[in-house]
Amino acid sequence: MDKLVAELKDKLIDVLNLQGVTPADFDENAQLVGGPLGIDSIDVLEMVVMVEKEYGIAINNQEIGEKVFSSLTSLAAYIKSHSPDSSS
Amino acid sequence: MTEKRIYIASIGIVSPLAKGLAATEARLRDNRSAIGPLDLFPLLQGAILPVGQVHEHELDESSPLPRTHRLARLAALQAMDSRSERPEAVILGTTTGGILTTEQLLRDSDRHKERYRYHGIGSVATSVAEAIDCCGPALTVSTACSSGAVAIALAMAMLRHGKAKTVLAGGADSLCRLTYFGFHSLQLVDRNGCRPFDADRHGMAVAEGAAMLLLTTEKPEAPLAELLGAGLSCDAYHPAAPHPEGRGARMAMEAALADAGLTAAEIDYINLHGTGTPENDLAEAKAIQALFITPPPLSSIKGATGHSLAASGAIEAAVATIAVAKNFLPANTGCTQPDPALDLLPLLQPTTQRVSAVLSNSFGFGGNNGSLVIGAPDSFPTQKPAPAHPALAIHGSACLTGAGEKTATTSLFAQGLAVTGMVAPEHLAENLPARFVRRLKRLPRMTLSLAVAAQQDSGFAGKPAAIFMGTGWGALSETYDFLTRLTESQEQFPSPTDFVGSVHNGPAGQAAILLGATGANITTGGGDYSFEQALFAADLLLGGGDDDHCLVLGADEGHQTLSPLLDPSIAPDTPLADGGGALCLSRKREGAHCLLTLPFYQRSTATADIDALIDALGGATALQGRCALVLAGIPAVEREAGEAQLERFIRQTHLDIPVICYRDLIGEFASASAVAAAIAASLLATGDSSTLLGKATTGDRHTILVLGLGHYLSVMEFSRP
Repeated sequence: MDKLVAELKDKLIDVLNLQGVTPADFDENAQLVGGPLGIDSIDVLEMVVMVEKEYGIAINNQEIGEKVFSSLTSLAAYIKSHSPDSSS
Repeated sequence: MTEKRIYIASIGIVSPLAKGLAATEARLRDNRSAIGPLDLFPLLQGAILPVGQVHEHELDESSPLPRTHRLARLAALQAMDSRSERPEAVILGTTTGGILTTEQLLRDSDRHKERYRYHGIGSVATSVAEAIDCCGPALTVSTACSSGAVAIALAMAMLRHGKAKTVLAGGADSLCRLTYFGFHSLQLVDRNGCRPFDADRHGMAVAEGAAMLLLTTEKPEAPLAELLGAGLSCDAYHPAAPHPEGRGARMAMEAALADAGLTAAEIDYINLHGTGTPENDLAEAKAIQALFITPPPLSSIKGATGHSLAASGAIEAAVATIAVAKNFLPANTGCTQPDPALDLLPLLQPTTQRVSAVLSNSFGFGGNNGSLVIGAPDSFPTQKPAPAHPALAIHGSACLTGAGEKTATTSLFAQGLAVTGMVAPEHLAENLPARFVRRLKRLPRMTLSLAVAAQQDSGFAGKPAAIFMGTGWGALSETYDFLTRLTESQEQFPSPTDFVGSVHNGPAGQAAILLGATGANITTGGGDYSFEQALFAADLLLGGGDDDHCLVLGADEGHQTLSPLLDPSIAPDTPLADGGGALCLSRKREGAHCLLTLPFYQRSTATADIDALIDALGGATALQGRCALVLAGIPAVEREAGEAQLERFIRQTHLDIPVICYRDLIGEFASASAVAAAIAASLLATGDSSTLLGKATTGDRHTILVLGLGHYLSVMEFSRP
């Protein structure tokens, strides 16, 4: 899980071009959308694409999306539990 | 100025519903949706989404013109059919231009430059002007989904100010991959068709079409309706989402009502923007609730037509015209269970009732809003004539070139040295907050940087009232990146960020957000004359209040792949150059750096020639007495014609002053004239023109002309106050 969180931090910093943000000051439990990083609805859609592309998981329902992207931890948990190659 | 009524003399219309006004009305009476599966281009994978496609056999498939051009010409020719009026200007809204053709060419790795010659959005208005033989200005407006309405609003301002007696105005857009996949990537498309205001609505259906309205101040024999008012605003909130309370929508409606001199209670019907996306419909409903104590009957036709983007504002102005001409209200096709959360009941069936005045709404990306009021002819008192505005006064300026910002650029230019090249990365966004620009690529960064610098240079503390932006080619990086990723991912992963960034009015919308500019926000795209078009629009719309000031910008980015393909002035061996300029303008002379007029802007023809341009400047003798410097803009592709025009200008005026072909120093890009404008303003502000190129000019001579030559002729005159 920690490995996935670390991986997601790198990916989001890259995909969302979060200039000046380092993995160290990316709080995985902080509110992701509308939080301190200025992430908005367009970023959410970009993250949806990233999750589908990199992890093969489609999120095309706004309600689920709101829960999944509430924090980096919840995103990691969702990916882990829905991953095609997850053992759970 | 006398009071003027603006009549809608005729309308040409083509939409997924039908071709022609009568057939459109008949189909609206049927209350059936014309939305169906896309079959205009094949898809590489995935479910086929519903769209509003024009199935029009009369769209000449053998024409070399892109589909948007053909739709626009069809509507224009229909509007002009058996009319005796000759429009003095064409104002057309479009977002797609020739992109459908370009997409295919890029996929085929086709490098034949001439096949891209209709890519630019400005070529649509020019194509229409040629088709109907109009020699006056052909302006292209690109404000996303409000483009058609904004084009009509600009035409209205032109007619009111007596700049023309007859104008053909409207909008056109064709389906294309960019919009089809772009809106899908934003999860804004309803897989079950479009159901505006329905509790179960899930989005829009991307569509295509065109409508052109023949507007005139000379009363025709049987006018269809009267254009009573227009209101423009900008949310200045988010690049793609509406303000949640519908702030901008409300401001546009309020402004349109005030412009028409009507109260909300006098509106008999509202033609909703009603795209069918959850947020858009909610914001519009809130805005209407805030403005109307008892809202009149209302409906969106987008459940029947889909959302034809730039065409929709014009198509719906046509529907508003049908409403007043036939006392007929179309249904909100597709809606079966009105959303209780919206607290508005749209018309579920077509209705016949007396209609004197209609409000028609169009809201778009970038928070660009336009509302129109259309009424029965001669039924309402005319408005007091608008006072004639004093000349535009420049209070601040900025530019970016390969040489850097304004001071460096002007200093080199004044020595006759080149400032050409690509704007260096460190100049692109140095005055901008890093977080604000993290998603922005080259053109929006350049635009924001210019906007902030011009505003700062002016010393005005208040927010600009309005923003006008000219760009020949728009955001090329975002457009190219979107299409590339679309193709590389086999159409699976289009980028929502690049789609939002690719719209022509994206940069001006971003500037509005950064600076809090909630008034008109207009992007024009007229190739090498885009900046002049933005200035033309600003001069029509900027009010005379002491506190009113606006920004007029022009910028274009150099793109390694697209610029040499699209810009006819860039040969394979032409070094890429880019940049732009910005002016902060008001009507207040006090404290101004200099004054600015645009006395001439016409398509170059036998009658609209250099002699006419000189006449518009007051003639040769007057020019000899006041003109100190000429900056001439001759795009490389226009060299032969442009040089002949310049030669004639010098011969006819007998001007013995420095004449600089500024593109030799600034470089080849569409909005090079914006840089020339900023340099001219800067030279007059600092008095450098007396030493320009070492050639002394006499003290009485105090103006600089910036000429635009080629297939359009224009002149901007800068003078000391």
